[in-house]
Amino acid sequence: MRLSCSQLRVSFPSSNGSVLALRDLTFGSRDGEFLTFVGPSGCGKTTLLRVLAGLLAPGAGEVERIPGPHDRNCSVLLVSQEHNLFPWMTASANAAFGLEMRGMPRAEREARARELLARLGCAGKERAYPCQLSMGMKQRVAVARCFLSDPAVMLMDEPFAALDCQTRVVLQQEVLDLWEQDRKSVVFVTHDVDEAILLSDRILVLSEGPGTVVAEYEVPSPRPRHALLEMNGELWELKQRILGSLRLAAGMERFACAR
Amino acid sequence: MRLVRLIGARFWLLALLLACWQILAARRILDPLFFPPPSKVGETLWAMLASGELGREAGATLARAGAGLLAGVVGGGLVSILLCLSPRLRTAVQPLVSALYSTPRLTMLPMVMLIFGVNEASRMALVAMSVGLVIVIQISDAVRSVSRDYVDLAANYGASRAVIVRKVYLPACLPQIFTALRLCAGRALVMTISIEMLSSNDGIGSMIWASWQTFATEKLYASVMVAALLGLLSGPVFHWLERRFVPWAGGQA
Repeated sequence: MRLSCSQLRVSFPSSNGSVLALRDLTFGSRDGEFLTFVGPSGCGKTTLLRVLAGLLAPGAGEVERIPGPHDRNCSVLLVSQEHNLFPWMTASANAAFGLEMRGMPRAEREARARELLARLGCAGKERAYPCQLSMGMKQRVAVARCFLSDPAVMLMDEPFAALDCQTRVVLQQEVLDLWEQDRKSVVFVTHDVDEAILLSDRILVLSEGPGTVVAEYEVPSPRPRHALLEMNGELWELKQRILGSLRLAAGMERFACAR
Repeated sequence: MRLVRLIGARFWLLALLLACWQILAARRILDPLFFPPPSKVGETLWAMLASGELGREAGATLARAGAGLLAGVVGGGLVSILLCLSPRLRTAVQPLVSALYSTPRLTMLPMVMLIFGVNEASRMALVAMSVGLVIVIQISDAVRSVSRDYVDLAANYGASRAVIVRKVYLPACLPQIFTALRLCAGRALVMTISIEMLSSNDGIGSMIWASWQTFATEKLYASVMVAALLGLLSGPVFHWLERRFVPWAGGQA
């Protein structure tokens, strides 16, 4: 599925009038593409994903969902940074939640959840409650739930931001491997440029809030990729250009405010 | 060994106080007519237990408190559901609940008796009302504090309104519901014993009042101890239920 957004505008009420979170944001994702937004914190990344997930109605503009030829359903699912799991369900029940909502019988869905959890290195944790799991395990379960539901588009809101750096590398690799098997459309959000280059096909840079797209980059490295990918030559240059756009975006906003 | 140390750490002060009391009363520094020594109180307690009087009275109190608790929880639960379904009703009911909650419940006994008569029904109704108010307040609070994130998560996976209530709101509120039950059990006992002191022919409260009126101080102390013991025991019972039914709360609740 492709997502096409034009002139998205979202504002939130605040003590003095309203705060603009997204300003005339326009972009289109491609079918089967790993698209990443990078931007400074507070640029409206989370807001954007909530709009794309249909959890928040934009003040203006619209999100068009254009089904692709390989979609088995038209769901758009979100993996967020935290509070991803229901504390009252075991790891396997959480992972199987999407299948449960689709009416799959318990034995079948739990078996599929167990299988994927084992692949993600969570074997033996199926019956644990979230309060007994580490942060990394929790995110693995959340990722498993999303992949099991096999959505037409996956939205990921800095899913690795709260993890320590070793766990993050392991999870990035696991998600890369899972994703490269099936190549579903993904819209990913992060503030980490290295992560964006490692995972994505294309990177859009958002300005400091209110967010709008200020630059676009294609990532030329071939797949399958490896999480310990050397950042040399072309990729290093790409990273510098993205960092440059980020700095420029932030600087321009400050200049506009000062005036 | 650990258990012995645990019990020691908890009860040494109580034991010390009882020992002081025993010595002071035995040496006649305290008037044994007013402050009978703990050994005498213990004897009386044993005699009451042996004659079956204690079992009978404590049973009457527990039955009354239990019935009031059950009625209050069911009634309070139903009202809470209604309030959750209709925000307009909730806004209107809120001041009523606050007013009732800040009125000492026992002052309403005469009015309740005007309605139901001087009988078991009015005693139970007052206990039930006392419990029901706490339930309504706690459940409304629990429902309001359910995190938006969980509701969004379920909605994102296509859960209907009814499924969200069953799979998100209900389990999310369970820890607080159990806390409310524990509070209510204690409250039901306190209310029941207070009501029995004012208007009843049986139960621990009535026994306390009768002992006072006949100046049977040994029995008076013994009955108050039983009242304290009943209250103490209700806590662990509900704690156990909570751990049994909300295993995922992991000590935060």
